[in-house]
Amino acid sequence: MQRIIFASGKGGTGKTTLTALTARLLAEGGTPIALADCDVEAANLPIALGAQETSREPFAGGSKAVLDPDVCRGCGACALVCRFDALSTDENYYRTHAYVIDPWACEGCGACVPACLFDAITMVQSQAGEVISAEASIGPMVYGRLAPGEDLSGKLVTEVRRQADALAAERSLEAMWIDGPPGVGCPAIAAITGTDLVVGVTEPTVSGEHDLMRLVTLARRFKIPVAVVLNKADLSAEGARRLKEHIADEGLELIAEIPYDTAVAQIPERLARGEQFAYPETPGMNAIREVSAWLSKRSDSAG
Amino acid sequence: MTNSMQSLNGRLTVAVASGKGGTGKTLVATNLAVAAARSGTPAALVDCDADAPNDALFLAPASPQVREVMVPLPVVDEDACTLCGACRTACSYGAIRILGGKVMVFPELCHNCGACVRACRSGALSEVPVRVGEVEWGSVAADIAAPGGVDVVTGRLDIGEVKTPTVVRAARKQAEVLHKTLTILDSPPGVACAAVASIRDADVLVLVTEPTPFGLHDLELTVELGREMGIPIGVVINRDTGVPSEVEAYCDRSGIPILSRILFDRRVAEIYASGGLVIDGHPDGDEWFTGLWRAVCALAEEDV
Repeated sequence: MQRIIFASGKGGTGKTTLTALTARLLAEGGTPIALADCDVEAANLPIALGAQETSREPFAGGSKAVLDPDVCRGCGACALVCRFDALSTDENYYRTHAYVIDPWACEGCGACVPACLFDAITMVQSQAGEVISAEASIGPMVYGRLAPGEDLSGKLVTEVRRQADALAAERSLEAMWIDGPPGVGCPAIAAITGTDLVVGVTEPTVSGEHDLMRLVTLARRFKIPVAVVLNKADLSAEGARRLKEHIADEGLELIAEIPYDTAVAQIPERLARGEQFAYPETPGMNAIREVSAWLSKRSDSAG
Repeated sequence: MTNSMQSLNGRLTVAVASGKGGTGKTLVATNLAVAAARSGTPAALVDCDADAPNDALFLAPASPQVREVMVPLPVVDEDACTLCGACRTACSYGAIRILGGKVMVFPELCHNCGACVRACRSGALSEVPVRVGEVEWGSVAADIAAPGGVDVVTGRLDIGEVKTPTVVRAARKQAEVLHKTLTILDSPPGVACAAVASIRDADVLVLVTEPTPFGLHDLELTVELGREMGIPIGVVINRDTGVPSEVEAYCDRSGIPILSRILFDRRVAEIYASGGLVIDGHPDGDEWFTGLWRAVCALAEEDV
């Protein structure tokens, strides 16, 4: 199976729009696509493709330290070992003689538990999120929902990928489109690992260029080829020229340039609202057809 | 404005965040810093989006200083190790395994908490500093943001590293040292640990969104996070079309004030594309961001 991830480094460059539209075009041409939304902190692909949830399962999280103020004697041994500044005293200390834990700072390492001489601290397991299987009109989809504030986004992405692989295998699908998370950190690495191609979606802005090159460096670490789609290409002639030069210098293939096109930008929103409509015959849409044809050809030659 | 700053004990920390990427956090954070500085408030702008830090592309420090961000990584002295397994038991992250008669540390899983080192009874574990990123800081040219001035602090994760929250915390520590009246935290997108490390302990949370079903969906997630953290929330609607949207209805219903609206205008995108400041380049820029600064102060004051 061919796994293609749409990624960007920077957010908001058009990853979800491109994932949704190229997958639709291919599916309409007779190639069903398995889908995985790996932005578990803000999953938008299911909205853009009107996916209907079929099942969800909890994703177990790590633990957080909980302190019993009635047992705590306020010695502060726990605070000495905590490297995340999660343990401190507050204005009630002189009344309660107890330390308090900031759950937003606690990383669940448990170092404070053996440090406490009075067994006042225990570790409590949390639920980090959910993995959701869904059915879009064009194929099966798996996505994740991280509970706000949880720190296991990378592991949740890995689980989304695992279940999406299983679903694709079950349906004997040949291609999987992955909507990647922004950034180059833990969730981005989990999403990129083991894919066959990174489609770098960028825009001719100073930040779009900067973040694309960070993504390219990351993909090279994993020896995954990168091809680029330049979105909103006519936003800045100077920016586009510089970016194309940079892309050529890096030896990357430029799949297509998509002009700034409000008709295209509105498609995901219209899909999300369940509107029936014909694809616009605009330069932006034509460029997206180009991307879709390029991807289709590449999948065929690889398959 | 001076009054609102006084009532806040002279210090104010504003986190600019969003669930969805690309809604305009950097646009808002950079221009807000300039607006505040021009009204006389010395500001530190902290780029906490360590995966994709872009603030310095718009507000470049004149002569930046750089410091490495290091984490303590456990290393094993195999001669001293008795293979008792106490370190493996102590590790909550599965970062220590015993394979082929050897204790192995997996750096990408390690949270550098030190639990293993303290659990070791044979003195075989120690820690060495390992680089995961860097923090860069400096003042932008005085004429851009007079009279208050803006210092920009950037947290930058090394490519291939996963310790985004560590780099965020290091950037915030550096900003604390600068001791400015106003600290603006340009936060990573999302609702996970990196975003939490940036938003934690902020006085005001400014959520940037766009009036689409996606913007609304992701806004709701960040509001949930902000409310759990007990931080007062205000919203900036970016790419506002002037047509009432579900985002406004939601804010209205939830009692969340809309602090500013930035017009859906190709000119805004063009100024941003070239690395310019919208507050200067767009005829409505000053109104959007000076207005936002006033609204942020009012929101902070309300909460005091």
